[in-house]
Amino acid sequence: MPNDHIVSSYDKELENLRSSIARMGGLAETQIAGAVDALFKRSAERAEQVVEADKALDDLEIAIEKDAISILARRQPMASDLREIVSALKMSSILERIGDYSKNIAKRVTAINESDNFRIVRTVGDMAHLVQKMLKDVLDAYIDQDAVKAMDVWERDAPVDELYNSLFRELLTYMMEDARAITPCTHLLFAAKNVERMGDHVTNLAEIVFYLVNGEILEDTRPKGDRTSFTVLRPHED
Amino acid sequence: MSTEDAKLKFQTRGVHVFYGDKEAIKGVDLDIYNNEVTALIGPSGCGKSTYLRCLNRMNDTVDGAKVTGSILLDGTDIYDRKVDVVQLRARVGMVFQKPNPFPKSIFENIAYGPRIHGLASKKSEYDAIVETSLKKAGLWNEVSDRLDEPGTSLSGGQQQRLCIARAIAVSPEVILMDEPCSALDPIATARVEELIDELRENYAIVIVTHSMQQAARVSQKTAFFHLGEIVERGHTEQIFTNPREERTRDYITGRFG
Repeated sequence: MPNDHIVSSYDKELENLRSSIARMGGLAETQIAGAVDALFKRSAERAEQVVEADKALDDLEIAIEKDAISILARRQPMASDLREIVSALKMSSILERIGDYSKNIAKRVTAINESDNFRIVRTVGDMAHLVQKMLKDVLDAYIDQDAVKAMDVWERDAPVDELYNSLFRELLTYMMEDARAITPCTHLLFAAKNVERMGDHVTNLAEIVFYLVNGEILEDTRPKGDRTSFTVLRPHED
Repeated sequence: MSTEDAKLKFQTRGVHVFYGDKEAIKGVDLDIYNNEVTALIGPSGCGKSTYLRCLNRMNDTVDGAKVTGSILLDGTDIYDRKVDVVQLRARVGMVFQKPNPFPKSIFENIAYGPRIHGLASKKSEYDAIVETSLKKAGLWNEVSDRLDEPGTSLSGGQQQRLCIARAIAVSPEVILMDEPCSALDPIATARVEELIDELRENYAIVIVTHSMQQAARVSQKTAFFHLGEIVERGHTEQIFTNPREERTRDYITGRFG
């Protein structure tokens, strides 16, 4: 978006808003990576760092909200400026939520360490890497005002859902085989669900970037890939 | 006939206005609909007021002004020689930037138009017209006990609503407003905007305004004028959230250089 308002302080305010969103996005990416790192290293200490770092995302969200409200009140923004501010408000709350999910995964690390089934932990990590890459790309799309790139990210949530579906069935199987696995597997399941939800939130970010650039709200709902709400596994199946 | 067609009040095509050699309007096409507020926006000198003044032939009074193109009111060319300009201006009323009540009583300000157009004969009929017009303009409760006082004794906001009442008194079909709130404080402005919204039920309204927020608040359609042409027109919401043209975007977001 060209920065050439007659009132130059308005440009500065919008620029600040944009860079705050970019900073939040960067932090949210780091938090996903940190949560996965804590899982892989089986490190409670690393997990604790992730939990503590979440505060920065919360603070940034509040700062962005205050700035956006102030611009709305003082500038009565129109057209692309209005979309920019509404988008920043929505994106900041989504990024804050993505941060919450990373924090929640980190909190589960100690319980998950009870399990020695590292293969499943790997799969959760793979899912998280996909989501982290999606998040990075959607933030690039935001900074470059690139709706095509945003839509590409939007499409990429399906593989994350597929991984989650297969992981869900696998975990149920383990739990049926060995009751002692139930506690760590349940925590892993929640961790995987968190990653799956992060993926959904990233697609929402992609929709916001699309709106920001084109001024049109994407009304097609993305086909839902998560079928686990309907999945039933019985002990003596097959 | 679609509902849009049924509501069509003014159809203007290829309108040009010249002041001597200067071409102030360069071929404007615009439709004005009943029960809608159409806002004309654009920087100073863009031609929006000049265009507005074509709609009741106010430009006739300007020396050296020449209007060409077609301006149809309910399908009739208002620049046709057979058209009575005084009758036209009764059908297409106007409210100006600065409130300009006649130096007469509040009552006479309203009754004057109906009298010269012969719309009433008995005192009771004038009383009724004055009361109805002041009520429609949202001014009745404030002035009903002092109709004999001069119109100029009212506050600026009240004077502007008096002028709107005066325009309504001759039962117009269209009301043209040229920056009707630019001399009013925010509260008086809010009252006039509320009034515009109510008047929309019965009239077609065209408003020229420099306040983008006002255009966004009161109108259903917006046309953006620049250098004597319409750059973009459309539903107000679309113009202010997602304009198609870069020049519109630049103007409404405050980027115009």
